[in-house]
Formats: sequence, structure tokens, C-alpha cells
Amino acid sequence: MLRITLTAGVFVSTGAFLAAAVTADDISARARKLHFSSIVVDTHDDTTQRFLDGKFDLGVRNVTGSIDIPRMKEGGLGAIFFSIWVPSKVTGPEAVHRAMAQIDAVRKQVHDHPKDFLLATTAAEVREARKQGKIAALMGVEGGHMINSDLGVLRSYAALGVRYMTLTHSGNDEWADSSTDKPAHNGLTDFGKDVVREMNRLGVMVDISHVSDKTFYDVLETSKAPPFASHSCCRAICDAARNMTDQMIKDLAAKGGVIQINYHIGFLSQEFRDAEKAKPELQKGIQAEINKRCGGNEACQLVEGDRVVREYAAAGKLPRVDFTKIIEHIDHAVKLVGAEHVGLGSDFDGAMMPFGMEDATKLPQITEALLQKGYSEGDVRKILGENTLRVMTEVERVSRELNAGS
Amino acid sequence: MRRVLAFLCVSTFLCAGAVLSRRVSADDLTERAKQLHFSSIVLDTHDDTTQRFFSKGYDIAKRNSDGHVDIPRMIEGGMNGIFFSIWIDGRITGPPAVEKALDQIDAVHENVRKNSRDMVLCRTAAEVKEAHKQGKIAALIGVEGGHMIGNDIRVLRMFGDLGVRYMTLTHFYNDEWADSSTDKPVHNGLTDFGKDIVREMNRQGIMVDISHVSDKTFYDAVEVSKAPLIASHSSCRALCNHVRDMSDDMIKALAAKGGVIQINYERSFIDQAYKDASEKLTGGVVAQFDLFKKECDDDQECFGRKMAEKQKQAMEEGKLPHVSWERIIDHIDHAVKLAGADHVGLGSDFDGADMPEGMEDCSKLPKITEALIRKGYTDDDIRKILGGNTLRVMEQTEKVSRELQAP
Repeated sequence: MLRITLTAGVFVSTGAFLAAAVTADDISARARKLHFSSIVVDTHDDTTQRFLDGKFDLGVRNVTGSIDIPRMKEGGLGAIFFSIWVPSKVTGPEAVHRAMAQIDAVRKQVHDHPKDFLLATTAAEVREARKQGKIAALMGVEGGHMINSDLGVLRSYAALGVRYMTLTHSGNDEWADSSTDKPAHNGLTDFGKDVVREMNRLGVMVDISHVSDKTFYDVLETSKAPPFASHSCCRAICDAARNMTDQMIKDLAAKGGVIQINYHIGFLSQEFRDAEKAKPELQKGIQAEINKRCGGNEACQLVEGDRVVREYAAAGKLPRVDFTKIIEHIDHAVKLVGAEHVGLGSDFDGAMMPFGMEDATKLPQITEALLQKGYSEGDVRKILGENTLRVMTEVERVSRELNAGS
Repeated sequence: MRRVLAFLCVSTFLCAGAVLSRRVSADDLTERAKQLHFSSIVLDTHDDTTQRFFSKGYDIAKRNSDGHVDIPRMIEGGMNGIFFSIWIDGRITGPPAVEKALDQIDAVHENVRKNSRDMVLCRTAAEVKEAHKQGKIAALIGVEGGHMIGNDIRVLRMFGDLGVRYMTLTHFYNDEWADSSTDKPVHNGLTDFGKDIVREMNRQGIMVDISHVSDKTFYDAVEVSKAPLIASHSSCRALCNHVRDMSDDMIKALAAKGGVIQINYERSFIDQAYKDASEKLTGGVVAQFDLFKKECDDDQECFGRKMAEKQKQAMEEGKLPHVSWERIIDHIDHAVKLAGADHVGLGSDFDGADMPEGMEDCSKLPKITEALIRKGYTDDDIRKILGGNTLRVMEQTEKVSRELQAP
């Protein structure tokens, strides 16, 4: 999840890529076949926030937001990591309680849609879900502040099915620095390192999205299993602290990890970021519009933030970012470290989606675009989900080893 | 947890009386008791040992010189199943209560994991039976006090998913939705939300525990619950008039619903003289608790130490009546006569209460089996009391849960 920070600028287009844009109707038979026979894994979705407001029904097609069962099916999304998230400013037992309520909300959705979902905690269970024709539901905790510096809470989350934890959100927590806060710990504290080690033992993937560069490098040194970035892009293309430098991507890959490309336009497009900076007053207008539509409802703010920004772009007030920008980031990372280390982490329902990737139904376009770029079917399958499953399998193996030794 | 009630009183009581005089020394009877005991599934529904997991000096794998429960003594006493109690002071509420409860659930999980050769975490009656077959102790979890869900039904479900198999609706204090037997009534029993909690427990297959609750809460729970209920650690009010115990009418109502009263071994719940003396001098259960709380805060080891010291002193000064373990048998027998052997079980309150003489720890449990044989109980009835009845309630609770969850 990214919190809406907006921008301005009168941009007409992100140009070149638009011309090559693929529409839903253009998906080739080959791409369709490849896409729907692959296990497509998305490692970051903030849809969980919508569960908290009792009115949202995941089982029907919604006109707002990006995710529901009909649209997941239409887009061939085979596995989804529902994000457990409370803002960084919520800490202590309150954060624990709210995280528990969200874990319950995910488990309840799975329970209430038994024909469509299977709660998965291992790569094998993700494959089993596919075999049964179901979507694998997984959980990731987005921010270490939700364990309240308590390994017992971390273990409880793991016991309830949480399979990754992002070490920070947008603020530092008590034991790790965030990329969007002033450094306070010089990376990971000693306790932070213990958290990473315990995650290794429990088989909970270490997610380095959101963390500071120093925290990232401390994690690489500490973790016995491959870490991953559940929703980050390439800083070489878009210079955001939330994105990864080429060197970080290389070092992550050397450890066996995966960078899961985020579709948020503020992380995809430098033009968009520049526009943001240029006219801060526009941001106020957008925020006012969001507040008008949502009040304090966080799920609504996320979903409407996405909409309002697209409206501004359509009106020419903000740069229009096309989904092909996602392909550009994938391609950059693949050229850098190979197709084994790149995946998908949309940030659906938690960020601003580019034109052409408004919701999960548009996912086959990624497959189409990669094939058009000349990617082999094997490499496309890896990017769509197999790389994430490989990391999960490796994390499970390390966990078994550490438990056998303890 | 009953925590530190009691002690005090003048006079030397011999009272436990009648049963004592029937002492038989036949070796064959002892042998038969041993065989019966160690071939039965002995299931204790309430142990506060969880608190000790947080103290550095305690290791459940080793024989400890203090306290009532550890693996060597469980094995020696033939205790095959234990409900570890999750408990925090009832005045801690909201999110802090939730997190502290999670820590304790985790502590049980971790202790079971680290002793996986001897113990296995169980959630169902079938799993308890399987553990017994494998020669392992079945570890189960009960939450002692509805305040720990933070007034949030979603937390209840997560506790259930973490393995919690019963919840006591209150502890010493009323929670947001149910009255306690040791607090001033404010809800007239269960609130509407409290009734929803009971229904959700039914749905999740979590046993409804009515120990600690007010009589009105008890009757409300009996009316609302679709599954049989348990009193995880309560004794008979007819023999010892304590609000924490159950009246004959309550025991009958519980039995009519298929439930079980699990007899608590706490001295002031089983012995009237002890209870009277204790209350006269300390003002009762909660006042006593608060006294130690003031001195020890949350340090459970300090609690235990202070309690033992004061008791020892009172005993030496002859101010506390002796209470024999055979009072436990009196309570079992009373409940059996009232409701039948299908509705009585064991809920020691080990590591959370003052044990009577002769039941100093769980290694002494075979004495219960022997005493019941001497009383003329059939082997079948004894097996039921030792654990069979609890397993039946668990099975019934699981069945109700399946039915309620069926689409």
C-alpha cells in the first residue's frame, strides 16, 4: 500500500509506449493459452481494507477497485497475497489487535467462498489450489510495527497463515528504518536481526519493499533464505526511494530473491513524479476530493485515490501513465538479473493504477506484451508466478532445516 | 486460575472425615487402580502452568521442586491431557489484553514444540485419543476470561484458529458482555453481544466454559448455547458455599444439557471451614488476590512464593484448618449422585490454586482413581470421570460446529 501523495503538472502523455498499447481484445491465442495455463501470483493487494467495511462483497463484480472474484477469474489471477496493513502511526497493542482483525477478515472471506478460494501457506498448496480450480489466498503483513516488537506475535501471525512480512511501512518501526522516514537505527537493530532470523525459522518470507537501503543490505546479510520485494520497481527508471537501485536488484538476485514489480504510477513513471513535485497545490485538490468522497474510510480513500488521479489524467491535469510502463520495469530488471528474479506485485486497491491496468482483468496484457517483446514462454511463466513459488519453496526448505537444527 | 485465596482460620479440623476411615490396604486393589488409571485417558481441564512459562527458572521438561505440573510429574501421575490456561488479570482489557493473550498462546505452542517428543498440541477429541495412542501428552488451550478477546468477536475466531478449545466467559471481574460471580452484576447475565459470542463459540467449536460466571450468566449461557457446556474448574456449592462453585440446581441444568462439571481442587472451593476462615480474615477471593497483586504486580513467581510463605506461617500457627485431598472425592461423589457419572470430571486448577494435602501435584492423581474404586465406582464410570466425559463434550461441540458451519 502506498499512501496517496499526488502531484501536478499538465502532461499530455507518456508517449512512446502508448502507441504499442495492447487492449483486452488484442490478446493473442498464444498469450491467452500461456497466461491461463500459468499460475499467476500477485504478491501485494490491499483489498483486505475493503473487507473491513461490511458492505464490500468479494464474490460479485464491483464497479470500484481492482479486485474481486469475478475479475480475478477473468484476469487469470491464480494466487493473491492479501495485505494486512495498519498505518505506521498506529503502534503498540492497538496495531496488533487491528492486524488480527484483518487476518480474521481474510480467513473469513476464504471461508465464505470455499468454491473459489483455498487458504495457502506453501508453494505446494498454491499448486493444489490451481489443481482444484481455485484461487490461492495468502497473507502478507505490511509493516513490522504490527508485531509490536514481540516475537510471540510474529509467531502467532505465522500460525494463522501469514507468509511474508514487510519489515517496515512508510515510517520506521522500533527495529528497522524505512525508506520514507529519517534513519533512526542505521538499518536493522540487533532485535531486527532476530526478527529476520525468526522469520527464517518460521518460513515467513522477508519482504524488503518499503525499507531503507541500509535495512535492505542488513537483511541480505542476516537472512538465511532469499528475501523478496513484494511491491517495488526500478529506481533507474523512476527515482523513488520506494524503488530499488540496479545494485540492490543485483544483490537481491544474487541471494535468490525476486523483485515484484509494483504498478503504482508514482513508482513507474518519472514524469508523473516530476509532475507531482511541480504543482503541490494539485495534490491538495485531489486530497480534498478524496476526503469529500470517503471521509476517514481508509479503504475508500485508497480506491477513490486511484480513481481521482485517473480522472485528473484524463482531463490532462496529470501525466497519463500507460500500463506498458510496467513492462518497461519488468524488462529493465530482467536485463539486469535475468528472468528468474522478477515477478508481479501490483499494489491493486492500494495505489494508482496506470491506464490499461485498471483492475485484475487486464493481467493477460502483461503476458501478451512480454511475448511481443520476444520473451520465451518459460520466462513469462517464471515472471507471472513461478519465481515467487520458487522463493516460497526455498524459504520452506530453510525453515525445515532451521527447525531440524533447533 | 483461582489464585491465592485462602488460608487462615483457627481450630484444627479433622473434618474430611468419613471417607478416611474406610482406608483399605489391599495391594490388589491398589494394583487394579493403577492399571485402570494408567490405561485411561486422564484429562485435566484447567492448569495455570502457562504463567510459569514466562519465568526463567521453570522448565516443563524437568522435575521442579515447586509448583504442581511438569512433564516428569505428568507422566508419573498418568496425566494424558492438559488444558493450559491463558489468563491475564480481568482489569486488563482491550488491545493490551489481546496481545498478552497471544503471548501466552504462543508460549504454549513454543513449549509444546520444544518438547515434541512428550507433548502434542491437540484441537479435537480424536487428536487427544491419537496422542494417547502415541504415548504423548495432549496439550490443549483454554482462555480463562472473555475480556481477552478485546470485545471483538474477530479476535475470538483467531484464538480458535490458534487452537483455543474453550473460553471461560469471565474471570473475577465482569467483562464487557457477561457478569462474573465475584463482581457486582451489571449486565443481568449475558448481554446480547455476549449471546452472540456464545453462538460464535458454538460455530467455531470452542467449548463454552461457565466457571467464574454469575449464576444468571450461567443460565443465559445454558439457554443460548447449542452445544453442551463445561465448568472447567468449579466444585459443588452444596458442600462448600462459595460463589465460584455450582449449586445443585446448576449442576443438574448443566448435566441436562450434556455438560460436565470439572471439580476444582482449590481448598477454599472444596472445604467450607477453610473457606469461612479465609474469608473472615482476608475478605475473600478477590481481596486476597489484590493483596498479592499489590506486592507482586504481574510477577507470578512472586505470587506463588508469597502465598506459600503466608500459608506456611498460618499453618504453623494453627490458624488454618487442614484440608485433605479426599474432599475432592466428596465433591465428585456429590455431583455423581446428583447428575450421574456422565457429567463429572477433573479441573484441578494446578499451578493456580492452593492444593489440599495429599494432592500436592499431578503425580498424586492416581489416588483419585483408587479412592473412586474404594467407593465402589465401576471402571467405566471412573474412566468417564477421569477424561471420557470431557472427550464426549469435545466431540459433541465439534459436531455442533460442523452442523452450524454446513452450508
